[in-house]
Amino acid sequence: MNIENETLKKKLISKNRMAENIFSKIFFLSALISIMSLIVIIVFVFAKGVPAILEIGLMDFVFGKLWRPSSNDFGILPMILGSIYATIGALLIGVPIGILTAVYISEIATKKIRRIIIPMVELLAGIPSVIYGFFGLIVIIPLIDKGFDNGGNSLLAAMIILGIMILPTIINISDASLRAVPKEYRENSLALGASKIQTIFGVVLPAAKSGVLTAVVLGLGRAIGETMAVILVAGNSPQIPNSIFDRFRSMTANIAIEMGYAFGLHQEALFATGVVLFVFIIILNLGLNLFIRKVGD
Amino acid sequence: MESRNVIEIDNLNLFYGDFQALEDINIEIERNKVTALIGPSGCGKSTFLRTLNRMNDLIENTIVKGDVILDGVDIYKEINLLDLRKRVGMVFQKPNPFPMSIYENVAYGPKAHGVKNKAILDKIVEENLKKAALWDEVKNRLDKSAMGLSGGQQQRLCIARALAVEPEIILMDEPTASLDPIATLKIEELINELKKKYSIIIVTHSMQQAGRISDKTAFFLMGEIIEYSDTTKLFSNPQKKKTEDYITGRFG
Amino acid sequence: MKMINKKVASVFLVGILTVGLFAGCDKAADNQTGEEYLSIVGSTSVTPVVTKLADAYMAKNDGVKIDVQGIGSSAGVKAAYDKSADVGMSSRNLKEEEKQWGLTETIIAYDGIAVSVHPSNATAKLTTDQVKDVFEGTITNWSEIGGKDEEIIVVSREDGSGTRGAFEGLVGLVAKDADGNKYSTLVEDALIADGNGAVKANIASKENAIGYLSFSYLDESVKTLSINDVKPLVGNIENGTYEISRPFLLLTNDAITNLANDFIEYILSDEGQSIVAEKLITVK
Repeated sequence: MNIENETLKKKLISKNRMAENIFSKIFFLSALISIMSLIVIIVFVFAKGVPAILEIGLMDFVFGKLWRPSSNDFGILPMILGSIYATIGALLIGVPIGILTAVYISEIATKKIRRIIIPMVELLAGIPSVIYGFFGLIVIIPLIDKGFDNGGNSLLAAMIILGIMILPTIINISDASLRAVPKEYRENSLALGASKIQTIFGVVLPAAKSGVLTAVVLGLGRAIGETMAVILVAGNSPQIPNSIFDRFRSMTANIAIEMGYAFGLHQEALFATGVVLFVFIIILNLGLNLFIRKVGD
Repeated sequence: MESRNVIEIDNLNLFYGDFQALEDINIEIERNKVTALIGPSGCGKSTFLRTLNRMNDLIENTIVKGDVILDGVDIYKEINLLDLRKRVGMVFQKPNPFPMSIYENVAYGPKAHGVKNKAILDKIVEENLKKAALWDEVKNRLDKSAMGLSGGQQQRLCIARALAVEPEIILMDEPTASLDPIATLKIEELINELKKKYSIIIVTHSMQQAGRISDKTAFFLMGEIIEYSDTTKLFSNPQKKKTEDYITGRFG
Repeated sequence: MKMINKKVASVFLVGILTVGLFAGCDKAADNQTGEEYLSIVGSTSVTPVVTKLADAYMAKNDGVKIDVQGIGSSAGVKAAYDKSADVGMSSRNLKEEEKQWGLTETIIAYDGIAVSVHPSNATAKLTTDQVKDVFEGTITNWSEIGGKDEEIIVVSREDGSGTRGAFEGLVGLVAKDADGNKYSTLVEDALIADGNGAVKANIASKENAIGYLSFSYLDESVKTLSINDVKPLVGNIENGTYEISRPFLLLTNDAITNLANDFIEYILSDEGQSIVAEKLITVK
C-alpha cells in the first residue's frame, strides 16, 4: 500500500512541477512580447529618424524656426514650443481641478454623491479623443472667436480641451491615492483640533504625494501625445505661438497631417519628429520619477 | 477657584443608528487625577472616551443624548469643536505619527491653531518632547522622519504631539496595548508625571495597569457604568457583584 | 536546461514578430471569394464625383466593391506610386519629381476653385492681386478691401492638398528659393484645415474667414467672390473667363487591374461624363 501511495505522490508532485514550469514560461513569454514591442517601435522610429536628423543637422532641426518641406526647410522649433505650451496649459487647467475634485470625492462628498460622480468621471475617461476634438470645434472655438475675434482655433482652445481630457486620469489616480491614506492620520489630525480642510491639506494630501504626482505624470503623458483633438482645434499653423490666442501646430499634429503624403527626406523628418517626442517623454518620465522618489521620502 | 470636577456627564445615552452603545452614563471626572476605564471588549469604554472630544461625530448616524459638561460648558451644545479638541487631547492605541519629521509632528497642532513664529515653534517642540521624555533620544534628529522611531518612541511622540496644543485633559485609548513591557513602563511613568498638570482618562484592558497608575477607576459593562470609585477601593472591595466577577477573572 | 529553454523562447518570439512584420506588407487585391475590390485614394476635391461614379458603377456591376477615400492629392499620388491603393486621385497637375514615377494620368473632369467667405461678409469681389496679397499676408484687415475693421483670418489647406497646390500656382503664391525649389508663400499664421469639408466648416462659422474651395463643395453655407469681376461658375470656366480651374486626374501604376481599367473607361463614357457634368466640366 505504501509503495502505491509513494508513486501517486511522486506523480502529483511532478505534475505540479510541470504546471509551474509551463505557467512561468507563459508569464515570461508575455513579458517578452511587451518588451519586444517597445523595442521594435523604438528601433523603427530611431532607424528612420536619426539619419534625417544627421542630414538636416541637429541644431537646424531642433532649433530651426521654418518648417517648409518644399524648400527643404525642416525646422521643428515652432512645433516643439507649441507642444510644450499646450501641455503646460493643459496641466495648469487639469491638475488643480483634478486634484481638488479628487479631494472632494474622497474626503468631502457623501457616499450618495460619490456614487454619482465616480461613474461620470469614468465616462469622461472613455470618450474617444476625436469626440473631444469635435466638442472643441463646435463649442469652445466659437466661444473663443466671439470673445477674442481670432477665429477661435488657438493654443487656448487646445489647452482647454487637453485640460479636460486629462481630468479623468488625474482624478482617478489621485482619488485612489487619497483613499489609500490610512484613516488614522485623519483621526489624529482632527483629535488635535485641526479642521477638516486643515487635515486634508496638512496631512492627507502630503501623505498621498507620490500617488498624486504619478497621476500628474500620466496626465502629462496623455496631453503631450494627444493628436486628433489637437488637430481639430489648434489651427495647425507652423509658427511659434506668441500668445495663447495664436494658432499653432503640435509635434504630433505635424506628423499626422503630413505623413499621408510625405516621402523621402520629408517623411524621414517626420520620423525624426517622433524621435524628438520620444526623447521628450523619456526625459520627462525619468525626471519626474526621480522627483517622485525624492519627494516620497 | 477651580472645581474639583473637570468633566461632568449627566444621563449620557449614545446610539449608533438603532443600536444603543451607552446607557444612562452619569459620572464626574476629577481634575488632575488619572481615571481608568476598565471592562470587557466592546462594552463602550472607547465609545465613551470619544464622546469627550466628540470624535464620535465622525461616525455617521451617531445620536448623542444627555449632557457632557466641560468646566461648566456643554460640549455638545455650546462649544467650538476645534477649541474643544484643543482642550481635550487624545492618544490612540496604535502609535500613529504623521509621515513627516519628528519636528513637524509636534509642531503640527500648534501650527493648525495659528502659531507661525519659528522661534516659538522651536520652543514648543523642545518643551513637549521633554515632557514626553523623548527629547534626549531625538534632539539630534528632529528633521528625520518620525517613521524611523521604535514603537515606544513613536507613542511618546504622539503624546508630545498631543501635549503641544496645551490641552487640559488627555484621553488615552489603550496607549500601551501594542508596546513591549519596557516601553509600557516608560509610558506609565510618564503618565504619573503628567497628571500633575493634566487630567488623564485612560481606557485599559489591563487591570494591573489600572491598579498601577490610576487614582479612580470606572467599570463598564454592556454600555453602562457598573461601578466607579477610588481605584484601591474598587479592586480591594468592589461593591457590585459584576465588578467582583470581572476583577476576579470569572469573565473577561 | 533552463538556459536553453529561455533561448528557444526568445528565438521563437523574434521569429513570430518578424513574420508578423512582413505579413503586413502583403496586399490582397481580391480578398473575398467572388468579389472584386478596387481601392481609390486621394484628393478630397475629386472624392465627391468619384464616389458618385463608383455608386453608379457598382449598381450596374454585381460583385464589385469600390472604396473611395479622400485624404489629399499628394497622398493619392504617393499611394498610386507605392501601390498602397489601386488608383490615386489628384486635383492638380503632377509635380516634376512625381512625373518621374512613371504613373499614367487620366483626366476625368475639370473643376473650379472658388474663393469663399462667410455669408455675412460684405465683400463681393477681388482682383487676383488682392487675392494674392490677402493669402500672403500683405493685406491683413478687411477694411483694406472694402469690409469692416476686422483682422482677416486666412484659411488654407495642408501642404499635400491638390486644391492648395493648384490655387497657389494659379494665383501666384509661389516663390523660388536659392536652390531653385518652388515653395508656397502662404502667410505663416494661416489656419490649416484638413480637407475641403473642413475649410468649408471653418469659413461658414467664422465671420472674418476667407478660404478657397473646390466647386463641388459649394453650398449656401458660404459666399463666393467674383475674381476680376468674373463669377465662379462652371459656365465661366467653359468660356475661359474664370481662370482658377484645374483638371481632376486619376493615376494608375503598371499593376493596373482589369477592374480599374473598366471603371476608368466607364468614367470617360457618355454615361460617366453625364454624371461629371452635374457639377463639373466634362473632358470633351
